[in-house]
Amino acid sequence: MTPPHTLTTDGQPMTDGGREPDAGADRSGAETVSDRPTVLVPLEVLEGETLPVGIPDLLANANVVLLGYHVLPEQTATEQARDQFGEKAMKKLTVYADTLSNAGATTETRLVFTHDEQTTINRLIYEYECLAVLVPNSVEQLNSVLVAVRGTVGIGRNTRLVAGLFAGTDIDVTLYHILGDDEAEDHAESLLGAVRDDLVDRGMDPASIDTLIETPTEQTAIDAIAQHGETHDAVVMGETDPTVTTFVFGMPAEQVAERFLGPVLVVQRERPDADGDGGIAGDETGETSPAE
Amino acid sequence: MVSDGGPPDESSTRPADSPAQPTDPPVSPPDSSEPPIEHDTDQGEGELERTIGLVGGLAIGIGTMIGAGIFVFPGLAAENAGPAAALSFAIGAVVALLVALPTSELATAMPRSGGGYFFISRGLGTGPGAIVGLGLWLGLVFASAFYLVGLGSYAGQVFLEAGIALPISPAVPLGVAFGIGLTVLSLFGTENTASLQNGIVILLLVILSLFLSYGSLDALGVFGTESTPERFFPPGGMLPVLQTAALVFTSYLGFAQVATVAGDIKEPSRNLPLAMVGSVILVGVFYVVTIFVATSAFGSARLGEFGETAMVEVAREFVGFPGALAIVIAGLLATFSSANASILSASRAVFAVSRDDLIPERASKINLKYGTPHVALGLAGGPIVVLTATGQVELLAEVASFLHLVMYGLICVALIQLRREQPDWYTPTFRCPAGFAVAGVGAVASFALIAFMQPASIIIGAVVMAVSYGWYRYYATDVELKGDF
Repeated sequence: MTPPHTLTTDGQPMTDGGREPDAGADRSGAETVSDRPTVLVPLEVLEGETLPVGIPDLLANANVVLLGYHVLPEQTATEQARDQFGEKAMKKLTVYADTLSNAGATTETRLVFTHDEQTTINRLIYEYECLAVLVPNSVEQLNSVLVAVRGTVGIGRNTRLVAGLFAGTDIDVTLYHILGDDEAEDHAESLLGAVRDDLVDRGMDPASIDTLIETPTEQTAIDAIAQHGETHDAVVMGETDPTVTTFVFGMPAEQVAERFLGPVLVVQRERPDADGDGGIAGDETGETSPAE
Repeated sequence: MVSDGGPPDESSTRPADSPAQPTDPPVSPPDSSEPPIEHDTDQGEGELERTIGLVGGLAIGIGTMIGAGIFVFPGLAAENAGPAAALSFAIGAVVALLVALPTSELATAMPRSGGGYFFISRGLGTGPGAIVGLGLWLGLVFASAFYLVGLGSYAGQVFLEAGIALPISPAVPLGVAFGIGLTVLSLFGTENTASLQNGIVILLLVILSLFLSYGSLDALGVFGTESTPERFFPPGGMLPVLQTAALVFTSYLGFAQVATVAGDIKEPSRNLPLAMVGSVILVGVFYVVTIFVATSAFGSARLGEFGETAMVEVAREFVGFPGALAIVIAGLLATFSSANASILSASRAVFAVSRDDLIPERASKINLKYGTPHVALGLAGGPIVVLTATGQVELLAEVASFLHLVMYGLICVALIQLRREQPDWYTPTFRCPAGFAVAGVGAVASFALIAFMQPASIIIGAVVMAVSYGWYRYYATDVELKGDF
């Protein structure tokens, strides 16, 4: 997939996603729209899910895709629910979108009535090429963020998100890595060092970045992240491949969010262009093009 | 989990109009660009996710249909038409196909919930729409009641197989109990009905394929003596065959159920026609083979005595008790899924007419807590239970077929009308081959089949139509639906 926003919005070619040497070299005014990481915020508005406290601050520098959704049992036509609840849900969403905008974010609002939440969220991640999805929990004071770093694969997306959201703020970031089975400590140090350098390149203050390396213990990575999360205000972690345990216990990020009770930003893998993933239900993509 | 892959060119169009505007007013959804065809346009009140793929569509069609043709009708059909009942089923399949093709074209032009009612009200106007819309609701009510009696018969067969003697025939009481149970179940949200349905359909197809291939080989003499076929045509010639075709047409009602969930189908232009035509052909083949196998195991008169559960005896004849047990289980699953699907479709039919103000809006209210349309489900479930209690299998089946055939005939007329008028909004992505001819023959065949029904069924069906029309004249004369899209 090409870098997300290769637009020339203001006559200035953006090459987001690459390693641009001068990104954020000076922090003042470096914040152009296209630098903003796109974050999907799904809210089940009609189930009473509201925009949690602190989220507008957390996402002040983001381009927020605010997704209001409502899941219906299969015996109910989605049209039927839209007729009845569409206006009400849209009103609520508009209020939340205004709150986000007032805090500084750019926002886009979508409202979807669906039979399957995951299908909808996936579709929007594709449509907007979202860098991350938020598991919305509230946070009182936003001072420090735990960033779980698994390895080098796709790490550029993590740094883009973290720097995009927190560069130029007074929020501290802790890079956290759990050693692999036969991973040497200095390897981990150089990994986190590279991440740190990248963040600084992207405009973060070196003084605001801390690192933490741990040897694996009895507890699972999820437990470890959740536990450390308690001393921080928000967690950034990667998306995990769906495995058997995922289907039984839910997505790891949600498990972390459940235990640590704060907001979790789940960095999304780079989505393959169109039909790379094959899908589950034998649905081929490419169906929409004839209309355009 | 990445199942709904983004189309290739969407990534280039989508961001172009969205992140470029930092102060984008949040209310305006980013649909100024061409919205993907698979999601309805957002008019400021949200968009709709399409979640049913081709497999799901086929499962709806097959799951609704197969229960009746294989597990309820063989005995009754063979009694009426002998081995030529296979021909009756084949005639039904041809009529269904003639209608499925025009329905596919209309459904891709109007991929919305409501199916045949939606096409006819938009193509032909409110009057015919009201007849079909209310008729579809009641047609599905009759069909559901019919499936429930079949389900009751199979549940009763369980007691029989277990050697428990019951003082009265348990079919009707059990059918009523299932009717109440299914309605209540659907009221409180059964979120996994679709995946359950897929599983049931696959299991059924496996059991039936094994059983029917064994039965066919046996009947052809591979495992022993070839059975002596009785005279193919019944004494009355073609007339009983056509009458039986009218009776068993209930076995083909399911393909239109696919159209009632057209609003949920992904890639409707491809999946709708495939699901409708595919499910009709598949169940048609199964029906014909079933009759062949059944009539080679027993004489037609004997099959007739076995009644609704004739296939259990056929299986017992071939494979003994395990065979009988397998068919009892398959019969339970099949009639269960048919009944369930029809109850849900009936509630969607109520929603469709209520949205258009043909009946009070209250009827389509959704209970926010359970997410289900409780009034519509009640309007479906209540009369279904009452009709099930009558236990009149053939009458229920024929009235259901009558009301559906009227709709099918009018669907064909609507296709012809729309093709001639060519309104701006009519842009089907699937075009029925030889449209005028297929729709013309389909309309004539649908109406003609009605003529072969019992007088009682025709009278009840006609009364339902007349009352529906009367209701429209009384309540909804000012509603104009033609071309309202």
